[in-house]
Amino acid sequence: MAQVVLKDLIKTYGSVYAVNNVSLTVNDGEFVALVGPSGCGKTTTLNLVAGLIPITGGDIVIGDRVVNDLDPKDRDIAMVFQNYALYPQKSVYNNLAFPLQMRRLPKDEIDRKVRDAAKVLDMTHLLERKPRELSGGQQQRVALGRALVRDPAVFLMDEPLSNLDAKLRVQMRSEIKRFHQDLKATIIYVTHDQLEAVTMADKMAVMNGGFLQQYDTPAQVFAHPLNMFVASFIGSPAMSLVPLEASTANGMSVLTSAEGWALPLSPLNARKVAAAKSKKIVLGARHSTIKLHKSAQPGAIPAKVYTVEPTGDVTFVQAFLSGSLVNISVPPAVHVAPDEQVWLEFDQDRIHLFDGETEMALHAD
Amino acid sequence: MNAVTDHAKSSRAGIQSENVLQRMWRQRADYLYVLPAIVVMLVVIAYPVYYTIELSFFKTPPGLQLRDKVFIGVDNYSAILSSEVFWRVTLNTVIWTLASTLIAFVLGFGAALALHRDFFGRGVLRAILIIPWVISAVAASYIWKWIYHSDFGIIGIVLVQLGIVDRPPNFIDSVGTVLPSLIVVNIWREFPFAMIMLMAGLQTVPDQLLRAAQVDGASAWQRFWHVTFPYLSGVSTVTILLLAVANFNSFIIPWIMTGGGPSNASHIWITHIYELAFGRQRWGVAAAYSVLLFIIVMTLGYFYVRALSGNERKENRA
Repeated sequence: MAQVVLKDLIKTYGSVYAVNNVSLTVNDGEFVALVGPSGCGKTTTLNLVAGLIPITGGDIVIGDRVVNDLDPKDRDIAMVFQNYALYPQKSVYNNLAFPLQMRRLPKDEIDRKVRDAAKVLDMTHLLERKPRELSGGQQQRVALGRALVRDPAVFLMDEPLSNLDAKLRVQMRSEIKRFHQDLKATIIYVTHDQLEAVTMADKMAVMNGGFLQQYDTPAQVFAHPLNMFVASFIGSPAMSLVPLEASTANGMSVLTSAEGWALPLSPLNARKVAAAKSKKIVLGARHSTIKLHKSAQPGAIPAKVYTVEPTGDVTFVQAFLSGSLVNISVPPAVHVAPDEQVWLEFDQDRIHLFDGETEMALHAD
Repeated sequence: MNAVTDHAKSSRAGIQSENVLQRMWRQRADYLYVLPAIVVMLVVIAYPVYYTIELSFFKTPPGLQLRDKVFIGVDNYSAILSSEVFWRVTLNTVIWTLASTLIAFVLGFGAALALHRDFFGRGVLRAILIIPWVISAVAASYIWKWIYHSDFGIIGIVLVQLGIVDRPPNFIDSVGTVLPSLIVVNIWREFPFAMIMLMAGLQTVPDQLLRAAQVDGASAWQRFWHVTFPYLSGVSTVTILLLAVANFNSFIIPWIMTGGGPSNASHIWITHIYELAFGRQRWGVAAAYSVLLFIIVMTLGYFYVRALSGNERKENRA
């Protein structure tokens, strides 16, 4: 196992930057998820690390070697693909043996390694089968096994669970997590599903438009999103973002809405707003931090219910606030109806404030 | 699941206990609907096949009318099989078919692989390479006849000017070079077909699989052998069989360029049959030839259908 360092990594296609100055360090034995919407550059980044496409600029270091110009086979990596990418005409045994045969290992050593990998992944009984005779989950396990036999420095996984149905995905998620814990493997894992990233990874790298937006532990990314993109991408349902205007009323710092109401700010939040470059402030709040009242309360602001989605454990309410939709979760016992007038109370310690122009999170200096 | 299979089995058994005529009577309306098509097929396909087979047992002296033909049993067949020309033409046909098919396939494969990669001018090159296949075979034959011409042909002139030969070679007028020369024309004409088929086949090879093989350490050649080639085995079989059948039945190129000569050196079965029938009015012998050819082509056709349905079976299992 080894650490992976990306330094100012750049990949351009013509004038388009698919990967734009991405720098990050994956420590030895760490599970890092590259996450972002489609087209954000996460798969391109993974292919650059694998060496499947040439880099335009920057450095890739695996272990203590700069691998910029090495072929994929010389980078000491193994890769797991979304569509499993098993050789259809080869048996499971030969699929597992293929990377070792390509390295011209002695036959008995190949046999030993294949059988070891099959044992680890509990598929010794499947060795003689062809890939088409396996279920999706089994095929993905063979793909994992083919990566495992290589004993590589780094595992690269490109959306390995996307082709599985929901139930299998949850099961394979824990299998891959287990795989990581048992092997202390260094894993770079690409996914568009933020839930996968949050549940499996030690650290997550959120990407958008080719840029690395934030690189931190899932808990940190969730609690302290650096900008509006990360705030809205991580968490389900997404964090609600309401564009407002900063002003003062009776000597107090407030956020005002075009709807006429004003939200007073705590001293800490007032300092954050004061640090903003413009008057445009975006208020962000997660569904669980907003309180819903059915009657007017001091400090609560009026909103109109749009939809109500009971899920059993909680009921998700979407309400219009100053022209934006806000997600609120309420206990199932609370009954509200669409178009009902409600009042929302924000927790001053748990709201997020963003500069409306730079879209960056505001900090009190 | 089991109940359904059982039901299907019992109903099939029920149908099998009926005899064919009863079944046809039960479905008489269906037959009525396809009757016009069946009648047309009988007139234009079944009758000529029958008549050819019948004719192959008769002698048709050039001085008599066709209806005065003389029954001679299998004499036509024994005459054909014992004649020297038959074996000459058969050997020509085998060489023509095998060489044309295999070389056209290999060239087409190479062209398909080359065009599969993205490079500047790919679209133009692809269009140019398809030209031989789309122009009329008659026109192509005449053009090549001129290219090969011993006095005015461009190849002869170039060879002389380069000092490789003293005087232009006689490509299609000498027994030794005529068949290879015609095969070159045939390959030139049909390799684009193999190219198009295999280009379509190459597009079915999943990109991720090639990348996986690359990460697994396979060289370009190993990727071709372990990933690309297995994906192309189905389309390759079909392409080779289609080419083989087409080549076996070739007529235009040899007939227009040489008419089978000199001294039968470029006769293949179809041109020979045509000449026997319409050149020398030996209908009976020509018919017997046709029947033999029919048997051989039907055998090839059987393998073609089997290869096709074999692919389907594979896909169904997958």
